[in-house]
Amino acid sequence: MDAQTLSLPISILNLNQSCTVEMGTPISEVIDLMQRGGFGCVLVVNAQERLTGIITERDLLVHIAEVRANPDTVRVDDIMTPSPESLRPTDSMAFALNLMHLGHFRHIPLLVGESDEGEGVYPASVVSSKDIANYVAAFLEEDKEG
Amino acid sequence: MLYQEIVEEELAIMDEETPDEPSKTLSPHEIHVPLHSLMHPPITIDMGGSTQEAIDRMLDSKVGAILIVSDGVLKGIFGERDVLLKILNKPVGDLTQIPIEQFMKADPQTAYVEDSLDTAIMYMAQGGYRHIPIVNEQNQPVGIVSIRHIISYLVEHFPQEVLTLPPKPSNDAMKAREGA
Repeated sequence: MDAQTLSLPISILNLNQSCTVEMGTPISEVIDLMQRGGFGCVLVVNAQERLTGIITERDLLVHIAEVRANPDTVRVDDIMTPSPESLRPTDSMAFALNLMHLGHFRHIPLLVGESDEGEGVYPASVVSSKDIANYVAAFLEEDKEG
Repeated sequence: MLYQEIVEEELAIMDEETPDEPSKTLSPHEIHVPLHSLMHPPITIDMGGSTQEAIDRMLDSKVGAILIVSDGVLKGIFGERDVLLKILNKPVGDLTQIPIEQFMKADPQTAYVEDSLDTAIMYMAQGGYRHIPIVNEQNQPVGIVSIRHIISYLVEHFPQEVLTLPPKPSNDAMKAREGA
């Protein structure tokens, strides 16, 4: 593994498709989706399918377990982090590491399409710190095997 | 003309002084960083503690996992994922009355202080874990490492490649106009 590896696009990682819900979805539905799909986060989109927010396990812990709010009456809009930092699948892994390190993010949405400002708009997948750790582990395994 | 000559001379000196450096590499040997130099102190709760107490302590300490001990010996681990999978949307009852033992993962994968980061990375990848408790020979928790430590380690190893990036990637450098 060398510095050039970090210039490779994030898309070379073995990424899963993102799980998305629309604004207004009850949190109980989000929890159900995360439990059944094994997702660590869910992306929230508007009627035009553009990314508007993100909900992570931590958000659920804080708002549901701490406040003990009723998951049937709380909506995603109430607890999501709006306008999360995002990248494109073609951006380098170095950018993902940078955001994860400086922003303390565990998940970064990867967007495709292009807004007027030249930024991605539609969620395609999510890169997580786990994906990066697995990549490093594969490199270690490969080296062990010679 | 004199200015042109000075610039060319400077450029020639710069070329001599900055030969193409080989790309920095991260060899498995370098990932042999001892865990005791990276780990954080563990947040623990006694086996008799309630689930609500465990959740409150995770929130107060801003950690993603808490270790469960009995007489100082590690018995289990409980994290954000356990809250999602075992508690939320489930008719579990009053969390202040339910011992954490009921929801913890018993006998978690551990590492020793003298183990290195690559061992922890392999454990995390193989088991899908986000946290690895670090224990001593008596199985008493002395620290914890998380996936975040791996990210921080990579960033610290490749600071030039990661920390000097612009805030946003340039999506299409060819579109950028030169000059005014």
